[in-house]
Amino acid sequence: MKISLDWLRDYIELPDNPDELIDVLPMLGIEVEESEEQSSRNLDHVVVGEILSKEPHPEADRLSVCSVEVGKEEPVNIVCGATNFKPGDRVPVALPGAKLPGGFKIKKSKLRGVPSEGMMCSAKELEIGTDDQGLCILPDNPKVGTPIEQFYSEDKVLELEITANRGDCLSYLGVAREISAYYQKEFSTPKISDLGEQHQECPDGYFLKSVSIEGQDCSRYGVWSIQGVTIAPSPDWLKSRLESVGLRPINNVVDITNFVLLETGQPLHAFDAAKIKGETIQIRQAKENESITTLDDVKRKLDPSMMVIADADKPLVIAGIMGSVDAEVDTSTTNLVLESAWFRPGSIRHTARKLGLHTDSSQRFSRDVDPQGLEYAAQRAIDLILEIAGGQCLPKYVCIGNAPREERKIEITQAYAEKICGFDIQPDQLSSAWKRLGFSVTGNNPWQVIIPSFRSEVERPIDLVEEFLRIHGTKELQNNPVVCPSTSRENDGTYEVCQKATDNLVGQGFQEACNYSLRSAEELNSWHPSFEAINLALLNPLTSDHTHVRASLLPGLVDNLAHNQKNLNDLTRIFETGRIFRSGPRGNVEWVSIAFASFAEPNSRQWKNHSKLDFFGIKNQFLSVLHAMGLALPKGNWENLTGLAPWQNDYSAKIGDCHRNKLEASVGILDLQLTKKKEAKGPIFAAEILIDPILLSKRKKAVSFTRFSSFPPAIKDLALVVKRDTPAESVRSDLEKIAISVGGNQFEVDPVTIFDLFQGQGMDEGTKSVACSMRFRAPDRTLSEKEVNQAFDTILKKIDQDTPYELRK
Amino acid sequence: MENDLQAIVTQTAAILTSVSSRADWEQAKATILGPNGNLTQVAKSIGKLAKEDRPAFGQALNRAKKSVESLFQASLESIEVQADLASLGEKADPSLPPVPSHLGGTHPLTNVRRKVVSIFRKIGFTVAEATEVETEWFCFDALNTPEDHPARDEQDTLFFPKNSKWANIAQKAKEAHVLRTHTSSVQIRTLFKEKPPLRVIAPGRCFRRDTVDATHSANFHQTEGLYVDKNVTVKDLKAVLDYFLKELFGDKLETRLRPSFFPFTEPSFEVDLKAPNLGKLSNKWIEIMGCGMVDPEVLKLVNLDPEEWTGFAFGLGIERVAMILHGIDDIRHFYQNDQRFLSQFSNAT
Repeated sequence: MKISLDWLRDYIELPDNPDELIDVLPMLGIEVEESEEQSSRNLDHVVVGEILSKEPHPEADRLSVCSVEVGKEEPVNIVCGATNFKPGDRVPVALPGAKLPGGFKIKKSKLRGVPSEGMMCSAKELEIGTDDQGLCILPDNPKVGTPIEQFYSEDKVLELEITANRGDCLSYLGVAREISAYYQKEFSTPKISDLGEQHQECPDGYFLKSVSIEGQDCSRYGVWSIQGVTIAPSPDWLKSRLESVGLRPINNVVDITNFVLLETGQPLHAFDAAKIKGETIQIRQAKENESITTLDDVKRKLDPSMMVIADADKPLVIAGIMGSVDAEVDTSTTNLVLESAWFRPGSIRHTARKLGLHTDSSQRFSRDVDPQGLEYAAQRAIDLILEIAGGQCLPKYVCIGNAPREERKIEITQAYAEKICGFDIQPDQLSSAWKRLGFSVTGNNPWQVIIPSFRSEVERPIDLVEEFLRIHGTKELQNNPVVCPSTSRENDGTYEVCQKATDNLVGQGFQEACNYSLRSAEELNSWHPSFEAINLALLNPLTSDHTHVRASLLPGLVDNLAHNQKNLNDLTRIFETGRIFRSGPRGNVEWVSIAFASFAEPNSRQWKNHSKLDFFGIKNQFLSVLHAMGLALPKGNWENLTGLAPWQNDYSAKIGDCHRNKLEASVGILDLQLTKKKEAKGPIFAAEILIDPILLSKRKKAVSFTRFSSFPPAIKDLALVVKRDTPAESVRSDLEKIAISVGGNQFEVDPVTIFDLFQGQGMDEGTKSVACSMRFRAPDRTLSEKEVNQAFDTILKKIDQDTPYELRK
Repeated sequence: MENDLQAIVTQTAAILTSVSSRADWEQAKATILGPNGNLTQVAKSIGKLAKEDRPAFGQALNRAKKSVESLFQASLESIEVQADLASLGEKADPSLPPVPSHLGGTHPLTNVRRKVVSIFRKIGFTVAEATEVETEWFCFDALNTPEDHPARDEQDTLFFPKNSKWANIAQKAKEAHVLRTHTSSVQIRTLFKEKPPLRVIAPGRCFRRDTVDATHSANFHQTEGLYVDKNVTVKDLKAVLDYFLKELFGDKLETRLRPSFFPFTEPSFEVDLKAPNLGKLSNKWIEIMGCGMVDPEVLKLVNLDPEEWTGFAFGLGIERVAMILHGIDDIRHFYQNDQRFLSQFSNAT
């Protein structure tokens, strides 16, 4: 909200240096967003001049030649094009040396052969007003030669940010009240004439026959009738008040309602009484398919969730927001109906949002205006209308409904305030803070505090503690020690596991990245065609590239790799941890993900050859992370990812299923076409871990120690011929199972390892050889060759009987 | 004969000077000590000697054999040393860079988050997490911000369609799912799950329907803090935040609580700080975080008695802290992931 300090001075004396307010207001809870300086106008060498004579220009019909007294020894000669003046008028005169706004310099010159020693100015030319129709005739005969600066001191405008709870501060009087509380200075409320007589029904001779409220969203509605007004432009003082805060003057009546809105915070609406059909005002919900053309000349479709002020025929105003062109006050208006009302804030907010129409009026109604302030604001406006636009107000007014809020009493003790604040408070500090805010206080610990109706949000003792702290301040709270007992809570498992993954990946040379969670439909569809992207779509996205939540961290990481490759940055290993979203059998799920990606080679040439990253390199990196995270591989086998975007066929694999195992991982090369589309050159190796947070919610049990043999092992190697498409791991694990079963209770078998793979020459087409090494140990002795050979023979027999594998001879 | 033996020892020494590999060595050994080797041949001639000469020859033969064997042993050791050295490859020029070179590092937002978490950890705050997808009730209503509350307008929220189903995000009733606009919703999830006394810090990602520019981002990060216990006061709030901010920005720091408004705290404050070491922002009041005493209504909503329990909560923007600490002027840098940006902070603390 813009506040002109000149205007504010009408209600309260401001400090000598008004910049002080920029520091004071924030400490009361009103942020000063920026201090908007007025124009950089310069009124040096512009003085009051009196026109002594006005003669026609000998060479130009439209110009006149004037002799002007400017307080120098001799009057000066000035050629002028304006016509709205006569000898004896006093006007601003820019003398040689003056620099008008816009950079125009005044010099002695000749106009059509006649010398001119200055320029008589309009208000607009000096930026002291908006009037550009002729010279600015100065009122009240100011002394000739006086610098104009003295009459038009520069105003300062502050932009205030009023918090959502302080609707009362959306007004000059509200802000003045706060300043008054701070400086403990009285502020003055404009005096108004006596209110007329209140009626529930329209009296005889009124402009209206009936006023009625349907529905719950208007609690109080008042109308006043004024007859015989003359609509005209507003006087300068009123125009300049409105212009100082960026409002455009319209006409005297409309300007007055706007002025009073800003002054009191109570929006008013003036109807042309002649345009109200059927002499009826109804406050009702809009009908289906009803529409209205608002004052901004936009036709708006209404619906029954919106409240309107209607006459017998049609809506005239979207209640609390904006009027229609149909009941506009214009130059033909002579009789007015003035409305002052209280609407339910939520209702006005809802409609303003729905229509995308936010006005000074809707802003105030939706922040809860003072339901007891209707009459004051209306009478203030009426006084101004009668003064400026003439006419007279009918002595009776109609006000229906009941105020939804009145003064209320809160009881509070010193002990309660101290319990919240944590420091000692003197009883009079409490009561004086509340009194300064205009609350009336009776009693003494407990106090009964009466909250005026304009403070909608002060309802509970805790609110009074806040008001106390606002006025008292918290300066004394310095250098206090932190006092609190120890806790026995651990960090959340999801947080810890991501920290461990981060540390491990950084140790493996990966750089952490941070990507947007919002992605495009196109990306989601191409990277995750396996589920319907629509499930992850937002209802109200802001931009077309941020329409869905991410299903994976990988596309972002590929973007990052491509970006850095393009910029020749040496960044080829990157990772991210974060939340991802998938659709599943029972609805969408949010999971934790850890993903990393890497080019096979650096982006720049290297002085030395080195081995490129391959599938087994990235698999090792993955196993290392998983180990560091304290997680075991999910049960099950590595499955080739074939035809499953975003992975490259035959070079990627997956283990686990997050829906079933709460953990899954995919490792391999990302689909070459997808990464190419993101402009990454070269294959990208990646791994993605998905974790259902529920997996991490349990505390892990302590590991219990298993004994191991201290005797040397006996080693036996063998090679098995198997079908080429048999996974090596199944051969290994089958052999391990057989070896363990043969070892029985006699001896232990170390994990069986694969030490060679062979296919090709000397082998049958479609077969391969898997060579494994077995190590046997007994817990209590060195194994004899005989028993090892016996065991080995049994193993060979079992392979022959139980598996499709053949011993390679 | 003895001369022959001496000649063989000399010959062995001569041969071994030109032996440089294990194969050469084996061959040389065969030439001298093999079944047809020179020394073996001489040894065989013992039968031709007179009986009385045999012992002397035997001794000489043994001496010669020992000499030859020790020559071979020394030669073998030297060959192995050479082979070991050869296996080390080229001598290293330590000035050359490693290939490949991957330093790795953390993101500046992680650095700040970790620093915040570690400071609070020292005074007993542990990390709580909740989901980024929330429901309207947990994000707003439970935080004392009902549908028609003006504060609800100010946070432009990203919604999911009314019928969208989320298996692991519990609703209160049938309210819509949203992307959380603040981490304050973690307060509610935590207070439902755990009982006070409670001290948690909740770093996490938040979302607003904001146009991306130098100071706005479609998603951003906050850290929420919550302390609920008996007799928690405004004084405790200020003490904890003073401690935190001094740990983060240095000792020469001034702070102040400026009255403000959040629907879920009462009284509410913005925290301003003034420090001499913040570059362009030095020595002026800058807003750093919001805080306040947990509103009694919020406590009631999570079934705690506000007569028994009090608490405070605060919220801090991670990006904002990182920008102030490092003098970063555009929030978009955090999400572009350019190595020239990231590497400046990848080992920052």
